[in-house]
Amino acid sequence: MNSWLIILFNSILLFFLTLVVTRFMKKRNLSKVTPFEFISYVVVALIVTLISLDIIANIYFGLISLAVWSLMPIILDYASMKSKWIYNIINGKERVLIKEGKVMEDNLAKERMTGQEFLEELRSKKIFNLADAEFAVMETTGDINVSLKADKKPVTSYDLGIKVASRAEPQTVILDGNILNEGLTNSGLNRNWLKTELENKGVVLENVFIGEVDSSGDLYLDLFDDVIKVPKTQVKEMLYASIQKSQAELMTFALETKNESSKSMYLRNAEELEHVMKKLEPYLLR
Amino acid sequence: MTVGSKVKQTLAALKGSEAILRLYSLKERDKEARVIYTEAFEEISKIKIDLEKRVSYIEFEEPQYKGN
Repeated sequence: MNSWLIILFNSILLFFLTLVVTRFMKKRNLSKVTPFEFISYVVVALIVTLISLDIIANIYFGLISLAVWSLMPIILDYASMKSKWIYNIINGKERVLIKEGKVMEDNLAKERMTGQEFLEELRSKKIFNLADAEFAVMETTGDINVSLKADKKPVTSYDLGIKVASRAEPQTVILDGNILNEGLTNSGLNRNWLKTELENKGVVLENVFIGEVDSSGDLYLDLFDDVIKVPKTQVKEMLYASIQKSQAELMTFALETKNESSKSMYLRNAEELEHVMKKLEPYLLR
Repeated sequence: MTVGSKVKQTLAALKGSEAILRLYSLKERDKEARVIYTEAFEEISKIKIDLEKRVSYIEFEEPQYKGN
């Protein structure tokens, strides 16, 4: 057989073989692998290259080596899922670098990291003052994760004591002018609803790049033609304003009427409405 | 404008809010939010009933303004 035929055959075979093998490997960001994982990837890549270029004299030797290097990581992954001990041996342990705001110089030395490098890493996490860091740990992949001091952490709505609306995830219903049925069914809507909604907004389907339905079933559109302004749905803001107006009117009635029983009825309902407004505020005015 | 027609206006506005809240309580996909909308809808329904009673009382008192 011609040698170019062998190379062609081997390459095609290995192309699909590698495709299958990598599908079974762990899904990992390449920048987040441990050094050992990186080496095993490189070895697999090299073996594949060598076999497909027919540099290895006996193709079966190459395949055996490839099988070992691609199957062993998979086996070890499963083993480390079952046992913490095996996991620690393979991946090593994370190392604490800052504890209670103090740098652990010994652990830094164990990772062979200079103070300069450490500060650089912290800066890349947007920590320019060492004093802001409460706790830092080096993960097995070499990544450094830092927890800030309580008073340096970004404020959340929980800290402020504000109630925020809980929302379901938005669903994409139009992409590139095509209706996506999956998004529609997930949000419990259908094509007819979408068509009327588009008609209400005065937009043709072909002009829509992305259409998204938010948690409360309102449609947001991004058009190909950016000159056209899509009317923004302000139903919620209007609803809140309308309830607020009704509440004010009830208060006026309560002041105007001379009848004691209806006065108390108006007052009670005005209070009730105010209570409703407070509850609805995070949902209607976001 | 008479008191009766003013109350009727408020009643109409409340009915509108009630309907929109009902709509949102059905459309909303998040469970927690749906409960909030339903509660608000029920509260406003109660207020609406109180106001309706008041309107019919006013109409009884001042029949000459009935229908305004």
